[in-house]
Amino acid sequence: MILQALAEYYDRKIREDDVALAPQGFERKEIPFLIVLDESGNFVDLEDTRVQEGKRVVGRTFTVPSAVKRTVAVAANLLWDNPGYVFGIDGKGNPARARQQHEAFVAAIRGLRGVQDDAGSAALLSFLERSEFQEVFAHPRWPEVVETGGNLSFRLAGDAELVCQRAAVRDAISAGGGTTETTRTQCLVTGEPDTVARLHPAIKGVRGAQTAGANIVSFNLESFNSYGHTQGFNAPVGARATFAYTTALNYLLRKDSPQRLQLGDAATVFWAERATPLETEITRLFEEPPRDDPDRNVEAVRALFESPRTGTALVDRDDRTRFYVLGLAPNASRLAIRFWHVSTVGELAERIRLHFEDIRIARAPHEPEVLSLFRLLVATASLGKAENIRPALAAEMIRAILEGTAYPRELLAAAVQRNRAERNVTYPRAALVKACLRRADRFNPQPSEPEVTVSLDESNPNPGYRLGRLFAVLERAQEAASPGLNATIRDRFYGAASTTPVTVFPRLLALKNHHVAKLENRGQAVNLEKQIGAIMEGIQEFPALLALPDQGRFSIGYYHQRQAFFTRRNTDHGDDA
Amino acid sequence: MNTTLQQVRLHVWGEYACFTRPEMKVERVSYDVMTPSAARGILEAVLWKPAIRWEVTRIDVLRPIRWISVRRNEVGSVASTRNALAAMHGGGMVALYVEEARQQRAGLLLHDVGYVIHARFKLTDRAGPGDNPAKFADMFRRRAESGQCFNQPYLGCREFSASFSLVPPGEPGPQPIEESRDLGWMLHDVVHENGAATPRFFRARLEDGSLPVPPLTAAEVHG
Repeated sequence: MILQALAEYYDRKIREDDVALAPQGFERKEIPFLIVLDESGNFVDLEDTRVQEGKRVVGRTFTVPSAVKRTVAVAANLLWDNPGYVFGIDGKGNPARARQQHEAFVAAIRGLRGVQDDAGSAALLSFLERSEFQEVFAHPRWPEVVETGGNLSFRLAGDAELVCQRAAVRDAISAGGGTTETTRTQCLVTGEPDTVARLHPAIKGVRGAQTAGANIVSFNLESFNSYGHTQGFNAPVGARATFAYTTALNYLLRKDSPQRLQLGDAATVFWAERATPLETEITRLFEEPPRDDPDRNVEAVRALFESPRTGTALVDRDDRTRFYVLGLAPNASRLAIRFWHVSTVGELAERIRLHFEDIRIARAPHEPEVLSLFRLLVATASLGKAENIRPALAAEMIRAILEGTAYPRELLAAAVQRNRAERNVTYPRAALVKACLRRADRFNPQPSEPEVTVSLDESNPNPGYRLGRLFAVLERAQEAASPGLNATIRDRFYGAASTTPVTVFPRLLALKNHHVAKLENRGQAVNLEKQIGAIMEGIQEFPALLALPDQGRFSIGYYHQRQAFFTRRNTDHGDDA
Repeated sequence: MNTTLQQVRLHVWGEYACFTRPEMKVERVSYDVMTPSAARGILEAVLWKPAIRWEVTRIDVLRPIRWISVRRNEVGSVASTRNALAAMHGGGMVALYVEEARQQRAGLLLHDVGYVIHARFKLTDRAGPGDNPAKFADMFRRRAESGQCFNQPYLGCREFSASFSLVPPGEPGPQPIEESRDLGWMLHDVVHENGAATPRFFRARLEDGSLPVPPLTAAEVHG
């Protein structure tokens, strides 16, 4: 299913005539240096195609013949390669090998069918066979070429395109390349008979994998073989399907791709059966907005919530275009599939809407309206550092969002634990806890428990919630009585209050009396007492232990009450409660 | 070869399952639904005789398809047969040092699965003169009812044990989920002939929670 969906995506892109995807036999590659020749094969110039991109210089990308898989043996690429192969430059103290490389390079060009007829390749052959490279080496840019070891290719003076892009050469490459394999077995991706690919092209762009690229279909150790097969013969995937799915995946994983998201250690790609806006917008919904456009994800989410009637909606609820999500995790030279999700565009949009509904909670005005996935997860990490996020949590969370199921239990536990450790309930953690509780209730509805609301719910009878609210009011009393304290009851007692209330609350209530007595503003004192009374009405007794969901409700109650204090202060200045 | 149309139905369920896709065999990814070869494996665990060959006709999916991702420590090398032979003849030691060959392999498994396997069996060339279909059908029924098996049946990989119970004929049996989708090309089975093992594939389509399985020799099964 996975490889098949990728191969279909490749076909779709070719049909849509997308320039970014290379046809069979070619690939998109950065070529930083070009050698310009004239028609009789004389050297004219050495061009540098590199441009500044951020901190690095990057060569221009061209469509060149596919790279050969380079191992220890000598294997030359066709019509482009590094200086060692093109000119026989010996950089490693092995002149015999350098000569072999150069010969292999020339032989590859000679082996191309119809090479004499094309002016470009004829000129190139005569240039290489003459072997008079002193002019090249004397060129001022030459030392840079040797230093960086960048790829070289050729261009005919007067042409805009490279020699390998000339029409005659392209046709020769596409037509040629016959394999010696004549046995054709059924490809398990397309179902058609095709020659089996022994080695699959590498998938680049997965963070954490080998830089040379990794493989999904890989049988690189003998314990992975079955039935006496080796390498690609363990799983017969045809050559055409192999090219299609690897090209499509490399395209989706390319740098700055709008269809790719990094979730924890998994590189996640999104694509659909047909061109839809959700394909490229979905990453904006989940990732951190860039510094120069901080409201980008807010706009994306708002577009998601718009009704289709107004015409600005991102998706139509009934859109049944199939949508695919693939998560890839690195494992040395192999790629593991972390998750795979097939759904329709409409369904997915609904589920994402549900996620944003669930994490919505009362907030201070300066807090961001929409929390990215990264913000939510980093709030559960110790010290707020991204590397401390539990690795599987991101993948599990996105899977829960896409499938519309409850969030992983570890998420609630991590958020509550962080609250205890940092003795504070922050906005992202409160949103997370609320979402976890809401979603868990959706799948295991407890009729006696009212659902967690966005802002303060004074009628909620849950003991954990009430105790959280009580704690907030008691802290308020202390703050009002002794302004400018370094450590309030929250710093000392939050952990015990949220887990074993009966040990702490009687003492806190006794302390409250002293705090209230110290207040100069008697009106404030009366209001506080009234509030405490209202909250205590719903509490029969202090529980000895609070279970995890109730600890979550405790933190939500605390958070809601504090938010209520601050918003009321903004509306009614001064003698608040 | 005699054939029989006696259908049996076996309800199997388990906590985890992994019907590994051949192309993602190293970092395991399961097919969405039980493969015919895994179903045959379960039936053969309950009853297998050289005289019969099981044919799966239909697989009903009873539980929604849910995934779980795990990472497991395994080994990267294979124990040497040469060493084993030498040890058998009184020399050397057969050992595989796990710490030196550690490979961590991820797996995308199915979680909380349940299926009803509809199958029938055919008599093979090795059926003796006294063998008739009814005899084996009875044998299977008795064994499945009392929970007898030659080895613990498993869902794809040996570590995911399956529990089974017979669905008596005439009873409607557990109902499949209501889901219809195209599952792409699925492994039907591996055919061993001429000393080679060739996989055969068929186009799998889940119709109202039920996967019809064509016979191995049918035109739809390529390979």
